[in-house]
Order: sequence, then structure tokens, then C-alpha cells
Amino acid sequence: MKLYLAVFALLVAAQCHKLFIGDQVLRINAESEEQIQLLKELEDDEGWELDFWTYPVSTDLPVDIHVPSASLHAAKSFLHLHNISFTVMINNVQVRNSFIQISILAAHANLVSKVHIGFSYENRPMYVLKFSTGGNKRPAIWIDAGIHAREWVSTASAVWMANKMATDYGVDPSVTSLLGRMDVYLMVVTNPDGYAYTHTSNRMWRKTRSINAGSVCRGVDPNRNWDAGFGGPGASKNPCSDSYHGPSAQSEIEVKNVVDLVKNHGNFKAFISIHSYSQLLMYPYGYSCNNIPDQAELGTVGRSAVQALSSLYGTSYRVGSICRIIYQASGGSIDWSYDIGIKYSFAFELRDTGRYGFLLPANQIIPTASETWLGLKYIMKYVRDNS
Amino acid sequence: MNWFCFVWTVLFSMVWQCPAAPSTPSPTAPGSTAQDEVECPSNCVLLIYSNRSTSEAQDPLVMTSTELNPDHYEAQRAAHAVRYYLNTLYGTPFRQLSFSKVHQARTEDLGEAGMKYLLEISVKDSLNKSSEKLCSAEVVYPRGETQQPPKVQISCAASLQLNTSAEEEDFYKRYSAADSAVSGKDIPDSYGHVDPEMVPFWKLAGVASTFIMLNESNENTLYNLAQVAKITQLESQNGQLRLEYVVLLHDMISQEIIRWKMLVSWSPAEGVKVSDTQLLPKCHCKPPTP
Repeated sequence: MKLYLAVFALLVAAQCHKLFIGDQVLRINAESEEQIQLLKELEDDEGWELDFWTYPVSTDLPVDIHVPSASLHAAKSFLHLHNISFTVMINNVQVRNSFIQISILAAHANLVSKVHIGFSYENRPMYVLKFSTGGNKRPAIWIDAGIHAREWVSTASAVWMANKMATDYGVDPSVTSLLGRMDVYLMVVTNPDGYAYTHTSNRMWRKTRSINAGSVCRGVDPNRNWDAGFGGPGASKNPCSDSYHGPSAQSEIEVKNVVDLVKNHGNFKAFISIHSYSQLLMYPYGYSCNNIPDQAELGTVGRSAVQALSSLYGTSYRVGSICRIIYQASGGSIDWSYDIGIKYSFAFELRDTGRYGFLLPANQIIPTASETWLGLKYIMKYVRDNS
Repeated sequence: MNWFCFVWTVLFSMVWQCPAAPSTPSPTAPGSTAQDEVECPSNCVLLIYSNRSTSEAQDPLVMTSTELNPDHYEAQRAAHAVRYYLNTLYGTPFRQLSFSKVHQARTEDLGEAGMKYLLEISVKDSLNKSSEKLCSAEVVYPRGETQQPPKVQISCAASLQLNTSAEEEDFYKRYSAADSAVSGKDIPDSYGHVDPEMVPFWKLAGVASTFIMLNESNENTLYNLAQVAKITQLESQNGQLRLEYVVLLHDMISQEIIRWKMLVSWSPAEGVKVSDTQLLPKCHCKPPTP
């Protein structure tokens, strides 16, 4: 029972809802045009942060509204007052990701554990899933997803891959031999505050949610906040910018938590960050367009990984250094990891190339995760064979 | 509505034909909102985009050779400019053009006249997914402090001309009806879902956005349509369907989400036309007090 409670706490933390008890989805059956109008007005009122899953259009169609717990009493009072009937459709709204996480931890308790690495700015616990078959600080692979809040397919893919890794252990020779020698640390939601904000308020939010002294604008771009060329070209010094680097390197607690874990561990051999979108596999540097010493090797590994990825659905990726492939960007995570000696540092930008962009449809999550998994497996196998 | 914000908004839409691509936003006086003009919720503060300053832009490219790696960003950004251009010419709610790959790229520095990019790209037509056309294209980015659109030419332009499809005619007839009043918001929704009926309106937004994206393009931008924030059908005029859109454009380089309002007219005969484009200030929202 304790395990399930702990798991519940994890998935909540990982999915970053403010309270896990309380959010509800109400299904409303409007019975008159007047009621439809009232619901439309409700929709326009930003104060309650109601999330309309289906819109008030006609009395023929139900209206589903996700109501955050803070607004529940007020919303229900409003509906009662106007004699609008409703049923509670979902008690405790959880993102679909969460459900998979429960089963991963419950079913694979011997392989997977959660490591608490600290708290986010808004005090959400930050957990990383640790895949280990034993040993003490075995050489390890770091994978982070969801550092940019709006890149949902990154987090969704990470959840799928976590489950895949857990279920393939003992079945897939490559995974089995990898985990026999190395540990994998997988952080599903590296920016929990931002991720929560994309669900409640602004789907296009990117940054953390820290308060910037002297500014109305919140948040720092967590992938410009690492101690690698910090404050250089490709990051903004304006707090209102989506690429604001922050007041200083590692000013963001979310970044610092990861840095502390990786440094204290001391035995990471690979560091992989997962983003969307653009379909790219990149290696350092972002902060400079100069070649890293290991350019040739990482390029070869990258191209082979992309070949494995493409083998599934023919999805095409470009490979190159961050600076050359998309843009110069300072203060990035894999530049930092490379500069502290973690040679196999890579960044993925997942599907698509702009058609849906950040709003990738749900039916593409599993194809994206499956193909990415092949690319990731190639890299992990290579790291295992060369560490 | 706060007159200060109104003046700024009007100034922006009047002074710049092609408003300077926003670099970073700066806040207006605290407490100022312009509810009617830009639909910022009441707990939000308006941010006005400042002109692109050179210190914010990426370090100027130092080209030691004129041959470009076609997979690298310089060639890719120019290829997107070609994509925008093609869609302004041939895009419809049922037809969009894109590119699958840049095969070759090089630049020619034209000095005062600008920087010319010469590309070999594979053009994809949504109407004919199986075949791609290999085309030569040229993009000339003008020099100067203020934003001006690149000039684009492409070799296969003529071959891309097509007759109106039956699908387009049906759609046009259906929504030309006097009582047609399509409206919508957040397309696709947060989960990437688009109602089947709204798909052509979404695609139309994509095509119309390319007019703005082309206008705003330079060597330091790369735009995609992130989401349609709002769509409202207006009364048809002169046989054109007319729709007012608010779209969110994503600039990959600055990572900003930029809001634009535009008036779009379309008919199978006239194609897509865009007017009254208006850069909308960013809404910066304070979280509701718990």
C-alpha cells in the first residue's frame, strides 16, 4: 500500500498538478439557449481558470469542463444557481502520462526507483526515475525530458520509453546488457512548474515560473541557464523574453538540482536532453560554432542513431552541432555536460517539423516515442560499449 | 481602454507596413490593459515589442566560403522563405506547399543589394504527396536596419500552377451562404486536435500566415504557425470569403510566440489575400491570487 501511495505522490509531482485531490471534470447538459449563453460567459471569464474540453455550442452536445480544485466550489455554486445540471465525469483529473507511471513503478519495483533530487520554484518535488540492477554508482546515462514546458511530446515520449525500458529488461538483449552494466536516470518532467502552467494557463509557456526581481515577467529559459558560455550570444538578458538566461548560471533551482545530482554522482558517461520540435539530433556546442574535439565521433554516433530512428517510419532527422544546425544558443544543458567531461552529450528535437509544432496530436505520441527509443537505444548501446 | 495602449497599437499598425520583427518585449505602464483591442484578460499586462536591436540578434555570419551545408541553419532558413513565398502564390485551404530537403546551397554577397541565397530544394505539394519537384530558388535578403522582406524567385513556379479543385469549389459555396458565421479558437487545441470541419480553416490560416512570415523574414528568423488563437467569419464581399484571424506564430530563433491579427479573403478564383495585418502585443499574465 505504501508503494502505491509513494507512486501516487510521484506521478502527481511528475505531472505537477497543484493538488491531486480536487480537480474535476464536469459534464454539463445545457437545456436552453440561455444556459448555453451563460456557459459561454463562463468560458470568457479567466478568473476561475476553467478548461473547456468541449465548448458550449448547442443543447444537443454535452459541455465538458475541467475545473481546478480552487474554483470547484464557486463553479458548482454558479451552476446550481442557474439550474444547470451536471455530473462529475472525472474525479481527480490526471494527465494520461500519470497512469503509465503508476504501473511502471508498481510492476518493476526491483528495477526502477524514484530519486528525489529537490524541489521546483513552486515547491513541487522533483523526481528522477532510476533504472538500476544494482552496484554502487555504476557508470550511468542521464536523460531529461520536458525542460521546456510546451514541448509536451518530450515528456510523453519519456513516459513511454520509461515503460518500454522497464518491460524490455530481460526481454531485449540490448536493454538487458545495458542495464547489467550501467544505470539509467530518466527525468520525465524537468520543468514541473512550467508544465503545470501549460495545462492551467498558457499552452505556449516555455520557461520556468520563477519571479524575476524588478520585472512583471516571470520565468527563465532553463536551457539558457546552465554554466556553459552563460550570458553569451543566443540568450536574452530581458526577463520578458522566452530565451531569458536568468540573473546567473544555475539561478533556476530546477537546473541546480540536476547539476548537483550529476556532479555528486560523478560517474555519468552520457547526458541526453529531449526537446521538441524540428526533428534534429544534435551534439555540442550551442554556445560556440567551433568544433568540439569529439566532433567526428559524436557525428558518427548521431548519424547511426538517426538511421535506427528512421528505420521505423522513415522520419527524417538532421544531425549536427547545435550552433550549426539551428542557432547559436548559450547556457545549454549539453554544452555544460560536455564541458564537465561527459563526452556523449546529445540533444533530441522530436517531431514534427512545424505542421503541428508544439501541438503534436496524441496519435503521434507512440510513433514518436517508438522511433526515438530506437535512436536512444543505439546511443546507449554505443556508450556501454565505449565506456 | 487605456489610451496609451491604444496609441501604441495604432502607431505600430500604421508606421510599419511590415512591422519590425519583435525581438524582446518590454512592459507598458503597470495596470494598463487594452481589453477590446487585443483581448488580454484583465489580470494581464500588455507588453509592447521593441524594435529588433542588433545586440539581440545573432552575431553576423562570417562566411569564409560561399558554399553552404544544406542541412545547416543558413540554408534551412532561406528554404523556409521559399516555402512562405510559394504558399502566398499557390496556397489554398486545400493545398499547401513545403520542402522536404535542401540539396545544395550557396550564397552570393551582393553588397548593398543584400545577401543572395541560391538553393536546390525538393518541393512537396500536399495535393500530390507521392511526387516531389526539384526546384532552384533564389532568396535575396536586403541589407538595412529596418525589416524588409526578402525577394524570392523559384524555377518551377509555372509548373506549380493548378486548376481549382472540386473540393475547393464545394467548400467555397458552402461557406459563401449568407448565414455562414464560422468561428473558433485554439486550433489545434492543446492536444493537437482539430475538428474535421475546421481543418480547411486551419490550413487557410497556415497559408495566410505565410504572407506575414515572408514579410517578417530575415536571416535571423524562422517562422511556423503555432496555433490559430481565434477565427471569425465576416460577411463575404465581392465574392470573397472573409475571415478575421488571430494567429500565434512561433519564431524558432528567438523562441517567441508572436500574435498577429489579419484579415483573410479567399475565393477559388482569386486565391488567398491578406490585409490589415496587425502585430498584437504580448499578454503577460499574473497568476490569479489563490
